Amino acid sequence: MRHKIAAAACAVLTLVAIASLEAHHSPSAIFDMAKHIAVTGTLTRIDWINPHIVLAVEARGDGGKIDQWTFQSNPPSWYRSVGLARADLAKAIGQTVTVGGVRARDGTLYGYMDKIKLPDGTSLELVNGAESK
Amino acid sequence: MSNRLLGVIACAILIQGVALAQQTHPDLSGVWSYAIDRAPAALKKEQNGKVTLQKIDQSARHGSVGSVGGVLPSTPKPSYKPEFQARVKELSDHESKTDPVFYCGKPGVPRIGPPRKIVQLPNEMIFLYEDISGDPYRIIPTDGRPHRARANPSHYGDSVGKWDGDVLVVDARNFVDDTWFGEDGYIHSDAMRVIERIWKDGENLMWQATVEDPKMLTAPWTMPARLTKPSAEALEESPKCVETDGPRLLNDDHHLQR
Repeated sequence: MRHKIAAAACAVLTLVAIASLEAHHSPSAIFDMAKHIAVTGTLTRIDWINPHIVLAVEARGDGGKIDQWTFQSNPPSWYRSVGLARADLAKAIGQTVTVGGVRARDGTLYGYMDKIKLPDGTSLELVNGAESK
Repeated sequence: MSNRLLGVIACAILIQGVALAQQTHPDLSGVWSYAIDRAPAALKKEQNGKVTLQKIDQSARHGSVGSVGGVLPSTPKPSYKPEFQARVKELSDHESKTDPVFYCGKPGVPRIGPPRKIVQLPNEMIFLYEDISGDPYRIIPTDGRPHRARANPSHYGDSVGKWDGDVLVVDARNFVDDTWFGEDGYIHSDAMRVIERIWKDGENLMWQATVEDPKMLTAPWTMPARLTKPSAEALEESPKCVETDGPRLLNDDHHLQR
């Protein structure tokens, strides 16, 4: 398990770091690359904007209160180049999804998404191109 | 018909043929790969037990220029006059907070790189780009006219083009001075002039730029050439750019991007 977590963190570090090639700061300036999280809740919004797409998720947190999570991910043009359109994610708005990623160092409900599981069971994940060969 | 008249006609045809040949230039028209580096990651999709992997083809953006003819000698970095070196270093050290491009700013010329689409017309070239700051265009006369006398300074400048053999040479000037012409804090003055050379290598597009700024640089800087492959990916309007990460940055970490 420990190995699995380490491997996942490493993949995210690589992925998010190289994602920033599009014109941005390093994700390590914001996100704790060692803190991988998974949030299950209702997908409420998708902003297909630069420099990162943004997803909003309402999830039930500690004590039953509703947490409003915001995740960014790779740029729109990156998703376009791997054949994913906004509509592929937007069809899940209002439904339950599970978003995986790394969390902001400042402790806010903010993260970088590297995986999402959609209501129909489809799983989309950013993986290291080198590892996937 | 006299031999003399036949000779005149033959000469006229020959002269016209030579003139036509001189006007025939390589056709640079086409759609070229996206100008900005993309993460060489892949999207893994699992659906009903079936796994597919969609990878990014980085080679389309970073072809090898090793054996391509026409490439000018280049250096990795520009040479700033001593009085600007500390400022450039400071900007570079804090790039994640100081680079206009990080905050949806326009990259300008030459930072935007080779165009995504070229439309070559007899008297002008049309360059189309995709960029997160918007989708700029440049219309570059190639009919010998001079630079516009009263054009306002801009991020993409005022350009004219001419052919040097099979190479299109674009002379761009009249820039605003709030862009960087490259990473690492490459600021410039309003005296910057950029010479872009664009040519074909087989089916690929070659692009190489030289930056001149007599106010800030000790000498013109010729950047490494870039080879870009043809693309079947249609141009698409860039979504608006909304940068919200600035206040969250806890350090100066950043990565190369353009």
